[in-house]
Amino acid sequence: MSELLKIFIKAVLVDNVILVQYLALCPFMGMTSSTEKSFGMGIATSFVIVLATMVTYPIYHFILVPCKLEFLQTLIFILVIASLVQLVEFYLKKSAPALYSSMGVFLALITTNCAVLAVTFKCIANNFNYIQSIVYALGASGGFLLSMVIMSGVRERMRSSDVPAFLKGKAILFITASLLSLSFMGFKGLIK
Amino acid sequence: MNIIILTVTVSFLIALALGIFLGIFQRLFYVPTDPKIQVIRSVLSGGNCGSCGFAGCDDFAKAVAEGRASPNGCAAGGKAVAEAIGKIMGVEVEAETKVSVLACRGTKECAKNKGMYLGLKSCMAAKISIGGTKMCNFGCIGFGDCVKSCSFDAIKIDENGLPLIDYSKCTGCGKCVKACPNGLLSLIPQESKGAFALCSNKTKDKTSIIKKCRNGCIKCGKCEKNCPENAIRLIDGIPEVDTFKCNSCGTCVENCPTHVLALRENIITFKA
Repeated sequence: MSELLKIFIKAVLVDNVILVQYLALCPFMGMTSSTEKSFGMGIATSFVIVLATMVTYPIYHFILVPCKLEFLQTLIFILVIASLVQLVEFYLKKSAPALYSSMGVFLALITTNCAVLAVTFKCIANNFNYIQSIVYALGASGGFLLSMVIMSGVRERMRSSDVPAFLKGKAILFITASLLSLSFMGFKGLIK
Repeated sequence: MNIIILTVTVSFLIALALGIFLGIFQRLFYVPTDPKIQVIRSVLSGGNCGSCGFAGCDDFAKAVAEGRASPNGCAAGGKAVAEAIGKIMGVEVEAETKVSVLACRGTKECAKNKGMYLGLKSCMAAKISIGGTKMCNFGCIGFGDCVKSCSFDAIKIDENGLPLIDYSKCTGCGKCVKACPNGLLSLIPQESKGAFALCSNKTKDKTSIIKKCRNGCIKCGKCEKNCPENAIRLIDGIPEVDTFKCNSCGTCVENCPTHVLALRENIITFKA
């Protein structure tokens, strides 16, 4: 049990997908203009991350390894992720059209979100078992959601602050992101 | 050989399974859409230029069908598309087709360069680094940022080093207008008449302009003085024509010593 907790905390804080591993910067910059949007994106991506891990793990261990087709993992995983994103799209279109239209192209871009692929790869590279993989995926998506929400909070605060003209727009965003990332470095020694 | 067959079968089976699974879910989550969206979309060009302010043609069609956008919102489609959409939506639409015009005649022979420019081949980069490759900082830089921005393949850089706009293809979407760092391109209605100044140099010093470019406006003010309709005024050194007063008599065009002025109906002629 403590092993699982360790994996979870490590995935959320120490190995935060966005702020420590620098993955998935595209939604991090594009979808954090409001908390509601970033939360929606975070949940959608989390759903895809967890589901993708749940599906790709058995595919890898029960289909690819026995057939000695490990080299196909990138191809097959992308295929699985793409279909899962489609599934999320269908679902959101039906049940939350407002959120669906506000997410626009970023929803389809979860397909190429490197965080999703990276998590599925890491579960295999770290020789996790099925339960550990799911916990890791939950942790990673929790970390993703956390940093998305933090960033959107900072951005909402920034809207009413006096930013120097030459830093307006994306420039101040990247500086903010790097400072956030620096603060997450403080979690490095949390787990041995 | 064996491994190839295995690869193909495994990939195929997984893809098939995912396909069937997705098909089922699409049925499960099916959302009925407005049939008007498809019809409106079929009228639009599909260039996805974004001049309407929506994410693309699909998005615009949806917005029109839902009443969030006006039927004449597609600048690229102009009059024909606006009328077609109006017919679908059952409303009267007023629209005019616009085209893009370049307000610079600084050809390779006429306008002097500052020197050899070896940097990034982009107008924006040249503008930021040294204010433009030509002595005249207002002139066309000629690396073709407008060409790259055009979704309709209507602009090319001709042998004089200036963009040549093909008016059989230009839709007036205004993407090139935004792309030009010097703001040399502007949109004018396709059927408009009257004089138009083909220079954008806003410095008032006559001698410096003559040194920099043979085709530049030298601020002599002849056009302003000679216009029988009083339609021309020099604003920031550039002759601005009041299109309501101008009757295309051509007096200013004849009198201009550097041939900066031209009639709009003569500019918008090139068709490839």
